[in-house]
Amino acid sequence: MWAIFRRELRAYFTTSLGYIVMGFFLLMAGIFFTVNNLLGASPDFKSVLGSLLFIFLFIVPLITMRLISEDTRSKTDQLLITSPVGVTGIVLGKYLAALALFAATLAVTGAYPVIMSMYAMEPLAFLEILGGYLGFFLLGAAFISVGLFVSSTTENPVSAAVATFATLLLLWIVDWIQPSLPKDSLSGLVFVVSLGLGAALIVHLTLRSVPVTVILCAVILAAAGTGYALQASLYKGIVNRIVGWFSLVKRFQDFGLGVLSLGPIVYYMSFSAIFVFFTVRMIEKRRWS
Amino acid sequence: MIHVENLTKRYGRRSAVQGLSFTVKSGEILGFLGPNGAGKSTTMNIITGYLSSSEGTVTVNGHDILENPKDAKRQIGYMPEIPPLYPEMTVQEYLRFAAALKGIPRPARDAELRRTMGMVRIEDVSNRLIKNLSKGYRQRVGFAQALLADPPILILDEPTIGLDPQQINEFRTLLKSMGGNHTVILSSHILSEVSAVCSRVLIFNRGRIVASDTPENLVRGVSDHNSMLLRVRGRESEVRKAIESCPGIRNVTILETVETGTVELSAEGRKDADIREDLFKALSKASLPILVMKPADSTLEEAFLSITGDDKEQK
Repeated sequence: MWAIFRRELRAYFTTSLGYIVMGFFLLMAGIFFTVNNLLGASPDFKSVLGSLLFIFLFIVPLITMRLISEDTRSKTDQLLITSPVGVTGIVLGKYLAALALFAATLAVTGAYPVIMSMYAMEPLAFLEILGGYLGFFLLGAAFISVGLFVSSTTENPVSAAVATFATLLLLWIVDWIQPSLPKDSLSGLVFVVSLGLGAALIVHLTLRSVPVTVILCAVILAAAGTGYALQASLYKGIVNRIVGWFSLVKRFQDFGLGVLSLGPIVYYMSFSAIFVFFTVRMIEKRRWS
Repeated sequence: MIHVENLTKRYGRRSAVQGLSFTVKSGEILGFLGPNGAGKSTTMNIITGYLSSSEGTVTVNGHDILENPKDAKRQIGYMPEIPPLYPEMTVQEYLRFAAALKGIPRPARDAELRRTMGMVRIEDVSNRLIKNLSKGYRQRVGFAQALLADPPILILDEPTIGLDPQQINEFRTLLKSMGGNHTVILSSHILSEVSAVCSRVLIFNRGRIVASDTPENLVRGVSDHNSMLLRVRGRESEVRKAIESCPGIRNVTILETVETGTVELSAEGRKDADIREDLFKALSKASLPILVMKPADSTLEEAFLSITGDDKEQK
């Protein structure tokens, strides 16, 4: 795993990718810091981190696009998969390399609060800033795990980059669309049923067995229908709640306030773990089909 | 050493390989021979654990490739059809990475790198970027990678593609010197390649093994006749008359003339009759000098074509 980690990390800097990622991010960070904190004479570093988060959305696809797709395309995955490392080790090595590049880039911006503290009239809210960094890192780790997964679904780094960007943008606007989603129980029922049927479709495509699919659909419809008949209020606002699970950005706000609660930390870490796991399954699936 | 049983790989409805069973003994050099798309690479990819089989089992040195993949993979050095190289790395960086992947401890890596680079003679390019290397060198870097950690089993998919004749010769010598204490499987669609180094050949066609034997036996299997190729100075009618007077001769075919004033022909004798002496006596009696006489043995090529051809007719 560490061999792959070291190779991937070095590959960022033997190609131009690592320099582009670091250079672009640090340039934007420098501009925000100068305009907001230095010229604006403001001690508020949280808002700089907030703006950088949006920039980071454009950078994630660059970091993750070739992680797995390149190996699939150039067949170097034959070397990795036939070595005694194991698919989980391969995926983790690559994921950690991307995280390390991100962490190193983020660490450089740590110089700004230090500069501010040297000239500040009153002590900075260091804990708030540290919390903000922790949140930024965890959110970035979740973004990168999505990009890693997308990279495992294609052989083409460019399609991986575009698809990653689209997915992240969708996750980004979840907060905006959430309030306008219908809240009545009937739409809740329709939403749950279509999710269930979607899952049944995936099962059908994997197993290709008509009886299993028919039985599964019947069970889903019956369960959803019975639930609705017995207690329709169960479905009230369920659309909101389910969509809310994917709201990555909202949970970031807490960190900026200097509130360190376990919930969002666990949320981000499990979100990343699930996507790393999906990536492993994706590679395994390619070996089987 | 390697035990493959009832191996099947399906892609949707199409089968890439179907019901393969064979055993490779320790120290054996086994050749996979067959036209492109016959299932050679797929079989190798399954044995090395790159692909999973749809049915059947592969056991490598007692380790099942699905149940115990790490131990099984440690036994194997694999060189795929396209060497899995990272173009932006130097040869040394790449081999060091591959050595780390194979779990060679850090202090031993340098010595191991020197050993394998020496075996395939790539020391002089060790600091060059792989993307700047010629095809022959890339092939050799791929081979060096397979040799790292000195695995007891080597699986080489079309290893000599892109090598020049001298390099092919070197490669064969290297391979022969390793046979005995290494088990080798190599694939090729070039017949001379397989007959030069392999002690046993499996012929693949359309995802099945259609023949399995030593190269010599495969050739013998199809040559039930016994014929000689001759070049004789003289007129065609005289030559034909002289040869047909021999007792053991069954059939004479006149071939295209190669040298002016001579006749090119193939004389077929009855099975288990030695016609060479009879031919010499008959022709010298008619004072027709024999310029060339050689056995018209069928080659592995003919064996291969006749075996895979039969299979097509059956379908």
